[in-house]
Amino acid sequence: MRAYQDMVFSTASRLTGNDAQAEDLAQEVFLRAYEHFHELRTSASAGGWLKTVTTHLTLNYLTRYRKRRRLFSELEAGAPAIEWETPDTLLADIDAEQRRQLIDEALRRLPDHQRLPLVLYHFEDMSYQEIAEKLQVSLAKVKTDIRRARAALLGILEADGRVRPREVRPS
Amino acid sequence: MKTLIESEEASRERLDRMLHGLPPRRAPATLESRVLEELQRRAALPWWRRGFGHWPAAARTAFVALCATIIGASFLGDVGGLLRTRAAHEMLALASSWMHPAAAALASMLEIEWLLWRLIPPAVTYGFLAAAALLYAALFGLGATAYRALHPPSAKQGSLP
Repeated sequence: MRAYQDMVFSTASRLTGNDAQAEDLAQEVFLRAYEHFHELRTSASAGGWLKTVTTHLTLNYLTRYRKRRRLFSELEAGAPAIEWETPDTLLADIDAEQRRQLIDEALRRLPDHQRLPLVLYHFEDMSYQEIAEKLQVSLAKVKTDIRRARAALLGILEADGRVRPREVRPS
Repeated sequence: MKTLIESEEASRERLDRMLHGLPPRRAPATLESRVLEELQRRAALPWWRRGFGHWPAAARTAFVALCATIIGASFLGDVGGLLRTRAAHEMLALASSWMHPAAAALASMLEIEWLLWRLIPPAVTYGFLAAAALLYAALFGLGATAYRALHPPSAKQGSLP
């Protein structure tokens, strides 16, 4: 459990944006892992199993206890998509732990409909199609939300004076 | 436009690399103890309060057999219906001729019941059973809704659905 608890908690925390919920979810994941202890004890893919179960449980939790229609509404109106160029040296001047804290804090400030697909894409290595299926929204919405989420993430870091993203316009 | 797409792709890759390089968050120190406490609490529960998979083999077998009997009986009519077969009725009627007068009264009651049973069309019986199942489901749903409303999940209890 000690070998995987940070990974499980991180996954749940980044998806929910809430530490208390993430701890509850991590607890549930390990309770389920205990039920499969005999299979997992010798399995090389125990980490993958735990990550998959964490993602699955967290998404179930979020869709059940928050208003799904508000979360994943296809009609959600937002700001027009603006592309931001990620600087070559994004947060390179600080150590990894400080960088993690800044990114996690910025992720928490994103709305659910942007944070979820962004985390699934960049941290869980899921494709756009897989995310669309998981969240039961259209592929186009997933792409739009992730682009907006990237822009918003960099926007938050910029507002905190951490980066100076450059707005990209078609030439 | 091509420049914009290339720029966007490069930007995405840079962000992806940076996010992948982040260390995991440290789990709260309380997590391990919470998991162990919950495991102990569950281990202390009597078997009938645990999941079906954790029941003793004999209890599971008995439960499955009971369910199969109930389902079978519901298809054949009902448990009382099995007693109302003509053979059972005739045996009771024969016995009533020389046994206690109470047996005769019982046989008469069974006779009336048997006549009533034959008068009720099967559609009414099945309709009644369907209505009973529907009412049971509605009551179950109402109870579950009331439970959810009155006992919202606490952030600290570790009791996820």
